[in-house]
Amino acid sequence: MEFDKGVAIDEAKEDGRDELNKDLLKLDEALRKIQITPACSLPEQAQQVDLSQCPTSYKENSPQEKLLLAIAENFRCQYAHIYPDRKPLLLCPLNECGVQKFVSTTLRPTLSPFPELYSWDGCASFVSDFLSLEPLDPPTDPPKHLHSPTWVLQTNRGSCFEFSTLLCSLLLGAGYNAYCVSGYAVKEMCLLNQSLQQCPLLGPLVKVKATKQRQQVKKYSVKPPRDLCSGFEQRQEDRRQAEAQAILLQKQQEEERLREDGERPPPDALLGLRVHCWVLVLADSREVPENFFIDPLSGKSFSTTDKCFLGIESIWNHQNYWVNMQDCRFGCAEMTYDLGDAVKWEYLLYGAAGQSVLTIPDMMMQQEVEDEDEEESRVFEMPPSWVNQIKISQQDMETRCPGGMKVIHYRKAKLEKFAPYLLKDGLVTRLTTYSDLDCTHSSTVKEWYQHRHDHLEERELNKATNVTVEHFRPGRSFALRSHRYIMMTPETERQMDFYSCARADGLVRRVEMPFEMTETFENRPDFLYYRHVVFGKRVKVFSPSNKEAPDRVDRPIQKVVESFHRDQSKPAREDVAERIFLVCEDRIQVTYHLEDDRIIPAWRNFIKPKDSGDSQKPHSFSRQMASTFHVDSFEKPCKNLFLYEMLVHMMKEEETVALRVKDSEKEVRAILAVREQEESSIELHISIYNTARNERARCHREAQERMAQEERLQEQEKELDFLAPFLAQLVDPENLTRQVALKLRSDCLADLKQRLVDKANLMQARFERETQELQQKQQWYQKNQLTMTKEDEDEYLAYCSDAMLRIHVLKLRLSSHKDKAPQKYLSLDERLRRDPRLANHLL
Amino acid sequence: MSRLYDTLEPSVMDKKMLQQAVEEQGPQDQAGQIAKEEGVLYEEVCQLCLNYRNILKIDHLWQFTSLTKLQLDNNIIVKIEGLECLTNLKWLDLSFNNIEVIEGLNSLVLLEDLSLYNNRISVIENMDTLLNLHILSLGNNLFTQLENVIYLRRFKNLRTLNLAGNPICREDHYKIFVAAYLPELVYLDFGLLNEETREQAHGKYQYAIEEMRHNETQERKAIEAKKEQEDQFQLHMDAFVEHLNGPYLFDSMYADDAEAAKLSYLPGVPVLLETFKSQLVELCMQMFEVGLAQHGRREDELKSFFDCSREAVEENQQRAAQSVADFERARRQVMSEMQQATDPRLLETQLNHCNDEINQLCDSLMTQELQLVDQLEDIIKDFERDILDMVAGFVEVVQGIFAQCRDLENHHHEKLLEIAVATLEQVAKNELEEDMPDDVRMLFVDKDTVINAVSASHDTHLLKIDNREDELVTRVNSWISALIKSIQDKEVKRNRKRIAEIHNYIDYVRDQLSEMRQERWGKNI
Repeated sequence: MEFDKGVAIDEAKEDGRDELNKDLLKLDEALRKIQITPACSLPEQAQQVDLSQCPTSYKENSPQEKLLLAIAENFRCQYAHIYPDRKPLLLCPLNECGVQKFVSTTLRPTLSPFPELYSWDGCASFVSDFLSLEPLDPPTDPPKHLHSPTWVLQTNRGSCFEFSTLLCSLLLGAGYNAYCVSGYAVKEMCLLNQSLQQCPLLGPLVKVKATKQRQQVKKYSVKPPRDLCSGFEQRQEDRRQAEAQAILLQKQQEEERLREDGERPPPDALLGLRVHCWVLVLADSREVPENFFIDPLSGKSFSTTDKCFLGIESIWNHQNYWVNMQDCRFGCAEMTYDLGDAVKWEYLLYGAAGQSVLTIPDMMMQQEVEDEDEEESRVFEMPPSWVNQIKISQQDMETRCPGGMKVIHYRKAKLEKFAPYLLKDGLVTRLTTYSDLDCTHSSTVKEWYQHRHDHLEERELNKATNVTVEHFRPGRSFALRSHRYIMMTPETERQMDFYSCARADGLVRRVEMPFEMTETFENRPDFLYYRHVVFGKRVKVFSPSNKEAPDRVDRPIQKVVESFHRDQSKPAREDVAERIFLVCEDRIQVTYHLEDDRIIPAWRNFIKPKDSGDSQKPHSFSRQMASTFHVDSFEKPCKNLFLYEMLVHMMKEEETVALRVKDSEKEVRAILAVREQEESSIELHISIYNTARNERARCHREAQERMAQEERLQEQEKELDFLAPFLAQLVDPENLTRQVALKLRSDCLADLKQRLVDKANLMQARFERETQELQQKQQWYQKNQLTMTKEDEDEYLAYCSDAMLRIHVLKLRLSSHKDKAPQKYLSLDERLRRDPRLANHLL
Repeated sequence: MSRLYDTLEPSVMDKKMLQQAVEEQGPQDQAGQIAKEEGVLYEEVCQLCLNYRNILKIDHLWQFTSLTKLQLDNNIIVKIEGLECLTNLKWLDLSFNNIEVIEGLNSLVLLEDLSLYNNRISVIENMDTLLNLHILSLGNNLFTQLENVIYLRRFKNLRTLNLAGNPICREDHYKIFVAAYLPELVYLDFGLLNEETREQAHGKYQYAIEEMRHNETQERKAIEAKKEQEDQFQLHMDAFVEHLNGPYLFDSMYADDAEAAKLSYLPGVPVLLETFKSQLVELCMQMFEVGLAQHGRREDELKSFFDCSREAVEENQQRAAQSVADFERARRQVMSEMQQATDPRLLETQLNHCNDEINQLCDSLMTQELQLVDQLEDIIKDFERDILDMVAGFVEVVQGIFAQCRDLENHHHEKLLEIAVATLEQVAKNELEEDMPDDVRMLFVDKDTVINAVSASHDTHLLKIDNREDELVTRVNSWISALIKSIQDKEVKRNRKRIAEIHNYIDYVRDQLSEMRQERWGKNI
């Protein structure tokens, strides 16, 4: 530390000398600019953003800004004069157009429309994800350039100062009391090297909280039975063990220390000199309980006493600029952030808004104020930001990282992030942990998925045991919740958890071993909660039909154990607690629940009759086939009939249980088949609200738009021009004379009249024809009435009624036509009068 | 109903008929065989069907106590009788008989389905206890009073009712009436009661029903209030301070006291009595408060004791049950192994090992039980001491207050005596202004009479107070001794039960083992 301090002081002294010698300073600056320029010019990014598109505020300074720059320059000169051994402040760097801009005006408070960006952690993680870092060059000086947040968003890259400016703008917009901080930090932070840190996703293992034994000593609690062990021996033993433990612990600590020493990076020669910029959020706004720092590069928050931050030069927000006057020799731990305290924080602008009242008017400030506006005593306020509003598109939010993906190296871990829908299998995050520091031997791989059609959310592969655990969202077939397996083939070791409330059988978990299967249930009406099945070896049957599918032959069941919860509606001695079907031994054991105040349950053992193969046939039964034990010797022995009926019932149960087990095995096979099929063709689910990606929705929308278009066209066509045929005959349809107009009108009316008359005539003719035909038919009927057959007569009658109907309809139509014709005529006349083309001439 | 049963000889419900019916309707095939060998007990029969048998009189059914379903339809039964013992009956069919009166059903409280279809009943009655009734069939009878249906309101579970074929069905508003008065009914006369009918019924009989409902609510409230009062009184009884929260003691003191009534006519006595009463009542109230508070404390103490002892017993039981379950599982395993074992030497070692295991289990179970007995004995002793202290304290306080009562009475007596003597003097001087009834005036013939009267009154009062005190103390003492005895008895009973249980099990296991030994040795030899 001593050495570092010395360097810092030397550096500061050098700076002070530079200040005195202005020529040297200029030269130095010029030299630095030459050095910096190539680093800043980013070949592909720079081309993307057209500088000429920038608004004028980017390229010029307003009078107010010029005034501000003058104030800043004055401040800088005085500061350099008074504190020659401190580093120059970052006050007015150049923006992307090469114009000097004050840092505070580069902040553009913006509230973004995304709810995610309303909280500080959302903003921080967005900024850290969205930008990629350009390290400062040299790392010990603040940059000469500070690009606007809009530029940074477009190019997707920036220095830590630009990160902070963007983040601070977002936070200020969201209502936080945020400040950009220019200062010094450790190397790992400046270079965004997180490989020494624990991955936050891994986190400390969740400690199982030992449920506190509610050892409430009641008045009549029984005393524990007397302990007959020797207290002395116990103590000696304890002491021996404690010693052994202490030695072990010491060894462990030793090892730990050695390991840590090995891991520790070599000491940094520039410790305490590396310039960094981060964000300070002060308490009391947006319910922030206490001050904290945000490192914009990693997006993490730190307490203000964190050891990573080594010192602060200055801080600023969109309203003012403060220089730190506190001692930073021991880091930032003892700093206070009461910006109203002029002893600790030297401000640039007097009485800027948002500050606590200044109690000690500063000499320098007074001078300034007097200089600026002596008469008016009006304080100078920070001019508005020259930066355009910050716009973040939906696309940007989704893509997040540049190119949609990002890799972060942590200690013994690698974290990969992907934008949703970027990868075909829906992977969004992958965390690989390694067993060594060089990250060569991976131990576990944990993957998170989104929008998967098979509802897969998380998959964890343990490389050491080769066990894979998959977690699913609710909504899958068979209500699968998680699946833990080594191999996907059936009848191997696996564990499946289910969403039991979504299943009719209330299954919670099914654990399989090569020859065992255990199922646990919940909330079943028959109180079953546990079933354990032991399988025997598959009997090999060498028949041609079984060769193709050996799996189809079911494994023989050796033993089934089923346990039941207590059914309060039955007395305990009749409520079965456990039944064991020893299939291979042809025995059934039934155990009942414990009665009150009992420690030994009653049980019954049955031996199945030998001829039990056919359940239809009545079974022979003898007293020896059932044995009963009951602790109460006064219990009446139950009757043979009851035992026989129970045996029959149990044998039936055995059959149903065997069926259930087969169903379970079938289900496992079905799940495995479905999983394999899903994994081989992964589909992503696209929400119907996702307009950008949902192909069908887009097609539908486009089709609708097309339909609407067509409808509009049709509407237009409908408006027929009844004058068109007449106008077409004219030479000059645009200019009508009165005469022509009158003629048009009369033509039109005549035409309509003609059509109406024609129509009436047509109807009249049809009417007459029908009448005539009917008459003829009637005459014919009169004549041949006597010789007619029944069918003919029916036909005639049917014809007559048809004809009468037709005649009647025609008559009605004719009369209504006659009624309406004059009206139609008049209405046409009216419309012609109103027609804009004829109106002038006719009225 | 115009059945010509006269032409047929009515058959008698005798043992033969019942036996036959039971055998016919019992289990069949193999089960039937077994049942026959074993014989069927009438008290285990659950269902019995005796229809179309021309039975005139129900008889001999008293043995069938677990019967849940009984069919006696299509007989010529005239009177419902002989069903009193069938208390488990849920389903009773008496349709197509010649019954005229509903009776003899009061003990069948579990009855859910009752059919009296096609009989000659004219009044719905005598079914007050059948509160579980769900289905009731009363069709084809002789009901003439529509109001009689209101009787069915008491059956809160009634959902299906059949009244078809009765004279009342011919009345205009029959259906609406029934729907109105039985709002919970779902099916009436083979059909669903639809919403429309219900609405009509509601419109028509709204006021009548409202009133009836109001009355019913009032009754229910009255019953509840009475019950609450009884509970309260029971609480006071439990606290041994009943009738102390008011002037009851005072009233009882003066109830049997003839002299006091006379003395109250003396000048100044009413005022004196008033103050005496208020003071006494205050003391009584004090006692009452103390009693209730002590009762609460005792209850807490009891609860705490019972909780703790139950916890201890449960914990012990769990441990024992676990060890037994483990042992039993292992034993079964070993037994089945031994069944298959062939090497006699191995078998022998296994048998011996098994025997050791049994002894070990027996020891451990017994040890646990002994431990528990010790532990419980300790806390019972503690509890007895505490509760006795508590009760003694209570009795002491109460006795103190009773002593105050007596002092008060003595004081009152002195005052009264003074007044009496003064009055006597006045009477002697004939200075008394007030008129007195003659019997009171009779007291003042001489000094002895007056003093005797006053003393008699005083003695009565003291006696009452003493009685009350004695009653309280006796009851407290008997309660405490009963409590302690019951706790001890319970513990003894529990202990015996457990010991018997363990012995029983161990014996069983040993028997099994020796059986196995014999069997195997027999085979090997």
